[in-house]
Amino acid sequence: MAETMIKTEELRYVYSKDTPYEHVALDDVSIEIEKGAFVGLIGHTGSGKSTLIQHLNGLLKPTAGKIYVGGEDIWADPKDIRRFRFKVGLVFQYPEHQLFEETVRKDIAFGPKNMGLSEEEIEKRVLDAARFTGLTEDYLEKSPFELSGGEKRRVAIAGVLAMEPEVLILDEPTAGLDPKGREHILSEIKAYHERRGATIILVSHSMEDVARFASHVLIMDHGKAAMYGKTREVFSRVDELVELGLEVPQISRVFARLRANGAAVPESVLTVSEAKDAVLALLGKGGEADA
Amino acid sequence: MAKEKFIEAKKISFSYPSYDGEIPELVLDDISIGINEGELLAVLGHNGSGKSTLAKHFNAILIPTEGKVSVDGIDSADESRLYEIRQEVGMVFQNPDNQIVATIVEEDVAFALENLGVPPEEIRRRVDDALKKVGMYEYRMHAPDQLSGGQKQRVAIAGIIAMRPRCVVLDEPTAMLDPKGRREVMSTIKQLNSELGITVVLITHYMDEAAMCKRVAVVDDGRVLMDGTPREVFSRVDELKAHGLDVPQVTELCWELRKEGYDLPSCVLTEDECAAAIEKLLKGGAQNG
Amino acid sequence: MLKDITFGQYFPGDSVIHRLDPRIKLILTVAYIALLFVADGMIPLLFSILLAALAYALSKLSWKLVLRSIKPIMPIVIFTAVLNIFFIDGEPLFEWGFIKITDRGVLTAALMCVRIISLIAGSSLLTYTTTPIALTDGLERLLKPLTKIKVPVHELSMMMTIALRFIPTLIDETGKIISAQKARGADMESGNAIQKAKALIPILIPLFISAFRRADELALAMECRCYRGGEGRTRLRQLKMAGRDWVAVLVVAAFFAGVILLNIYGPGVMRL
Repeated sequence: MAETMIKTEELRYVYSKDTPYEHVALDDVSIEIEKGAFVGLIGHTGSGKSTLIQHLNGLLKPTAGKIYVGGEDIWADPKDIRRFRFKVGLVFQYPEHQLFEETVRKDIAFGPKNMGLSEEEIEKRVLDAARFTGLTEDYLEKSPFELSGGEKRRVAIAGVLAMEPEVLILDEPTAGLDPKGREHILSEIKAYHERRGATIILVSHSMEDVARFASHVLIMDHGKAAMYGKTREVFSRVDELVELGLEVPQISRVFARLRANGAAVPESVLTVSEAKDAVLALLGKGGEADA
Repeated sequence: MAKEKFIEAKKISFSYPSYDGEIPELVLDDISIGINEGELLAVLGHNGSGKSTLAKHFNAILIPTEGKVSVDGIDSADESRLYEIRQEVGMVFQNPDNQIVATIVEEDVAFALENLGVPPEEIRRRVDDALKKVGMYEYRMHAPDQLSGGQKQRVAIAGIIAMRPRCVVLDEPTAMLDPKGRREVMSTIKQLNSELGITVVLITHYMDEAAMCKRVAVVDDGRVLMDGTPREVFSRVDELKAHGLDVPQVTELCWELRKEGYDLPSCVLTEDECAAAIEKLLKGGAQNG
Repeated sequence: MLKDITFGQYFPGDSVIHRLDPRIKLILTVAYIALLFVADGMIPLLFSILLAALAYALSKLSWKLVLRSIKPIMPIVIFTAVLNIFFIDGEPLFEWGFIKITDRGVLTAALMCVRIISLIAGSSLLTYTTTPIALTDGLERLLKPLTKIKVPVHELSMMMTIALRFIPTLIDETGKIISAQKARGADMESGNAIQKAKALIPILIPLFISAFRRADELALAMECRCYRGGEGRTRLRQLKMAGRDWVAVLVVAAFFAGVILLNIYGPGVMRL
């Protein structure tokens, strides 16, 4: 049995309670995420996904329910909440908008410094985080404000990686980037996942990206956890997804159609390379039969 | 001799002024491109390719350092006719929050008309008309911060079409939106072109958006690399990838299979085409060779 | 919540008071304030307060709002009262050691307190019943003649409008930046004053940068929409005086006459 990294129990959060603007953002969310999982978190704007991730590192305090990180109730001692912010790193949307230091080095060091680490340890972590995000040493002395959009974003992500969190949550880390920039960021996240064995939660609107990287998918809808399971299993429930107004990757749609028309393609095809292999396998088989 | 194009950029180069004696870097490098009235053109390129800089030349926000841009026969460098150009070529930007001026939707849509000194009754008519065209009429009395990203972007579009421009340039209008907002805005953009006959220039790095247009120009390093129908452009998958661009998944799959030596159409753009091509391939058995 | 700033103190409604022309409301509010100072003695003063009471009744707003508007100025009221009671000379009513309370002192204090309270309560009605944008608009049109003496009336009102437009956006942004820095372990609660001030740097710098970026983009968007200052501009919304506006003017004029008559012919009690 895999160890549980994050667990929520009947998590509930109400905005502006007892006012006319009262709004239930999370409605009895109970999920369990195992250590080392790569979770794709999907949902419409307003589905509660942003509220959920801000609970996992204790930025928001639940109206009711419990959150456990590594088996510990994070609100057991409210004074101790900062410890969980270091354990669960959260990269917000457009994180480059929080850069503030004179140099890239200082900005990346902000988190580790807040952790109270020694100078040598901070330096080591800054270099490590910079390496993970593909920032060479000559970037470190530059001002973050003279970098390009994609580079700024990498600096901001490095700032969270430098805290070496066991869980890394990213809210749409590729928003507004071009294909190259998107690819860069996603491969950094993948590297951090693989080399550190970190648990990842990736909030994304791109079904294609989730299909390519995530081992699990969590779908939020109207404040509830609508589906949670292995990526392949969730994406094979096409009808339910469509009902929630969500889409499966383009290639999955094409293959679902091929299957419906009687082609012997596999049940769930998630990526282009899977699709290619599936077609080649079928053609190969066909060849054998002919021969 | 062909009639002059609606927007015509002739051998334009552009560089931002440099301050410390460095040689300024060319953002646009000897570009020539013409846009006909009624066209739906996507300008595709990665961040920093020069595509936004090019767009800003189409309504005289930027003036080329070399070469000439003319809009409906007006030289964009002619400052005395600046507002004629701005009125004919409207521009919508990426961040919907940063282009809405007023605190009420309809007042924002009226902003350009107020600036142009249009009489109040005429402003009222055009504002209502523009809001209806983008489907935001019911929200005319809302505050912008009560709207979703897609709705704000449609209000911004209404604010432009209220000027009755002949062309609208949109600079990555969907980059900050969620999928629902993107769909709303893209359908509004297509409608501008097909129903109102407005010339549309869509600056984007999303391949699926470019695939919806009638013409695609690919820009990189300040030059136009390709210019043609989506089908022509997307058949050059290798080149696109080399320039940091992507192709739709269905296009990529067919291209991959072609590389393996199977006979598939060279450019598949839609899911229907892809499904049909693969079905045909599977039925026809292996044609490896 | 901080977000309420944009709507300021506005409480939506459809009363006669809500529908008055903002220019008239501005002028009449000034007139009401003048009235409070013209009133000589407690009786004319209480009479002028009737005007505010009438307007409140017509606005159909909750009377609790009166208390709400007065609450923040209570310290000033009390301070003024204390100052007047103890430091104005006159017939002593009470003496104990160096403390002396005089009849004039008490009366001045009472008059001042009533004046301040009714001034705030009455003029709050203006912001309660008028949207900030209508106020800005009304103000711009009223002050337009000042353009002749080079007062940048249009520019000021444009700045006001943009400020109103961007306050909610920037408040939102501030919240996001605070959360983002907290997620990096920023500690904003503990430490002494200097440490707390230092903890603001990671919030203020990104906020300023964002505000400048927004200003830049907005300026560009405005240019694209042919903005070139106030000259030759027309407006979508036209302000037209309606019958109710003239009635309002007459009512206030009647109160003015009433107060002046009371000043001259009214009973001489409780005057200075």
